[in-house]
Amino acid sequence: MFEISGLSFTYRAYGTAAEHAPVLCNLDLTVHEGQSILILGAPDSGKSTLARIMCALVPRFVEGDLEGSITFQGERIDSRGPWELTDRCTLVAQNPQEQLLMTTCADEVAFPLESLGVRRERLVSSVHSALHRWELDRMMEVNPQELSGGERKRLLLAVTDAIGAPVWVMDEPFDDLDEFWRAHLLSEIEKKEGTVIVFASRYLEEFRGSFDAYYLLDQGVLTAGDEEAIVLAFDRVSDVQFSVKSTLEHVPEHDSHTLVAQNLSIVHPRRSVSSTEPFTLRTPDFRIASGEVVALVGPNGSGKSTLSRVLCGLDPSATGSISFDTAPCDRRMLRSRVGYLFQNPDFGIFLPTVREELGWSLRHVPALAEEQREQLIEKTARLFHLSCEDNPTTMSYGARKQLQAAVYYILNRPFYIVDELDSGVTYAAAFEIVSLLRSRGAGIVLITHDSAFARNIAERTYTIDNGVVKERRLNV
Amino acid sequence: MTTSTFVAGRGIVYLLDARSKLLLVLLLCIEVFLPISQIGLWVLFGGVFLLAWHATGFKQAIQPIRSIAFILVVMTLFSPLTDRDGTGLLFIGERLILTSEAVTNLSVLVARFLSITYLCTLYVWTTPMADVNLAFRWYGLGYHAALVLTLAFRFIPFIADSFRMIQDSHALRTSVEFEGRRSRRQRLADIIPTVTAALVFALKSIPYTAMSLEHRGLGRREKRSSFRQLKARGGLFTQLLVSVMIPTVFWFLFTTL
Repeated sequence: MFEISGLSFTYRAYGTAAEHAPVLCNLDLTVHEGQSILILGAPDSGKSTLARIMCALVPRFVEGDLEGSITFQGERIDSRGPWELTDRCTLVAQNPQEQLLMTTCADEVAFPLESLGVRRERLVSSVHSALHRWELDRMMEVNPQELSGGERKRLLLAVTDAIGAPVWVMDEPFDDLDEFWRAHLLSEIEKKEGTVIVFASRYLEEFRGSFDAYYLLDQGVLTAGDEEAIVLAFDRVSDVQFSVKSTLEHVPEHDSHTLVAQNLSIVHPRRSVSSTEPFTLRTPDFRIASGEVVALVGPNGSGKSTLSRVLCGLDPSATGSISFDTAPCDRRMLRSRVGYLFQNPDFGIFLPTVREELGWSLRHVPALAEEQREQLIEKTARLFHLSCEDNPTTMSYGARKQLQAAVYYILNRPFYIVDELDSGVTYAAAFEIVSLLRSRGAGIVLITHDSAFARNIAERTYTIDNGVVKERRLNV
Repeated sequence: MTTSTFVAGRGIVYLLDARSKLLLVLLLCIEVFLPISQIGLWVLFGGVFLLAWHATGFKQAIQPIRSIAFILVVMTLFSPLTDRDGTGLLFIGERLILTSEAVTNLSVLVARFLSITYLCTLYVWTTPMADVNLAFRWYGLGYHAALVLTLAFRFIPFIADSFRMIQDSHALRTSVEFEGRRSRRQRLADIIPTVTAALVFALKSIPYTAMSLEHRGLGRREKRSSFRQLKARGGLFTQLLVSVMIPTVFWFLFTTL
């Protein structure tokens, strides 16, 4: 089915330090019809690049030098346009935002089927049944932009399902999905009568034993092996094993603060559909103290990001109050006390160098002399493994996440909300970021779908169940 | 890259077929530049504004005015200065500042600008983008041209959405124990990095959009099928006829010829 031989790929101008270093080096891979294979690789190891090359999207849309050969069903892939593979091979991208095109969920699922000229009766039934299978039928007319990250991923999976191509290439398909939907996707992969190539770096324990062949992609080299050997090798290269919780360093004494939200009620309608029942989230009692790490978990679309936006003062709540050290706190005060690290680091990065990016945050701190400011920037960059002269826009995704965390670290907020930090960086890197943010006494609210990560790092957990935020004590 | 301009609401504007609505909007936009009385122009704007209010609520309906407020202020301040005819209304010393004709011309200019803004906005608010695409194609535009137009319609609000997210991110970064009000100059300076980041974000999304379009089959030789079909309640001919009659009646009521 896929025959890859001596494949190498180098991005033109990929970062400053790694410029001209190949992302993929001399890869050989044979994928047989009906096979399901798992390729493990740490974030930024070249998984997405390989997935896109297999779908004829790279180097067509991204400048780079491709060497070697790749054939699909006996044809050289570089002689084909991506549209020729639409009904034969479907890619599920790691970041759903990259692939969404249309303004309603139904149109999103319909678009590739329209391209394939599927007759209308079949087209309509395929759209409805795919949305139904991924429990998005109530969202048919909703704009994908208004969905949560997990719902968007389900929408992409519904598109893949509706096309029904014999080959699925899935780049971190389990990311953003909650436990229920991860299990659902795994059962779909196991049931699939065709070829499935999954690229992954997380949730290994959930899908062990589900694939026919296992590979490790590390430093551009692909290694085959049995499951045990590949998983062990992957653990070694990406530090996937957690340190036990006790290794979260003891936080030295700092000013102690508390953030308490009581009887919060958050209501917001979806703009694209009229609904008599707008989205509602109730938070009877949410509290966090300095130095604590608290996980906020819940199914896709349950309102984790919505609550976070209210806690850091970006959005108002309909009722209820938030207090900081027992004193009521308005939105402006919250914004200066609670940092929110968005899932997408690019929202906050805009300057040409890491130095300027870190320095920009300090420009409203008049008490800092120029020399102190420079020292602080240098120290922060070192702590987060950044080079001050690097250009953020050309840095890898993981490095941009480090920079985003460094920007907030330098601001020294009493509390931080960290949204899906573990997506796109290794567990070790995520763990280190949380440790650094906490090292100055900050309380951390961690949003994650990864229960193993939450268990190993958080002392308490808040869950969102049927629109209500409740505390769940962890028994560790 | 999918920020829709569609706003869910109620009323007759949602029931009208996308093709007849497009014809009506085009005819009224053309009519705005024909010799129509000042009262006619304000009646047109008032009518469209009331429709928008009824369809989407006052908070939503007022948004376009807020968006173009700056341009309206500039028009109000500077366009009277270029009109020297008519009775003098305002003098500073010997210097004539405002004439009656300048006021009339300003009123016509503002009414035209508001009418066109609201006509086009109401169309995209009340018509799903897929229907807009189908309407363009019904009028003979090729699929690719219609797709480019609808993508363009979506791209502008996408940048606006990214801008809001980036603004939020920057608001959290800049609120460093800063409880006082920022000066206008500081606020203006804060917009520049936000705009820069939004533009970088938007530019980065272009190759991904192209990638996704081709991966989803754009460029194939098969004739495209269509998930959506336009349906005109009461018949398309009747709706098209009404779309022609409304501007015609309006013309006879308010023409100055």
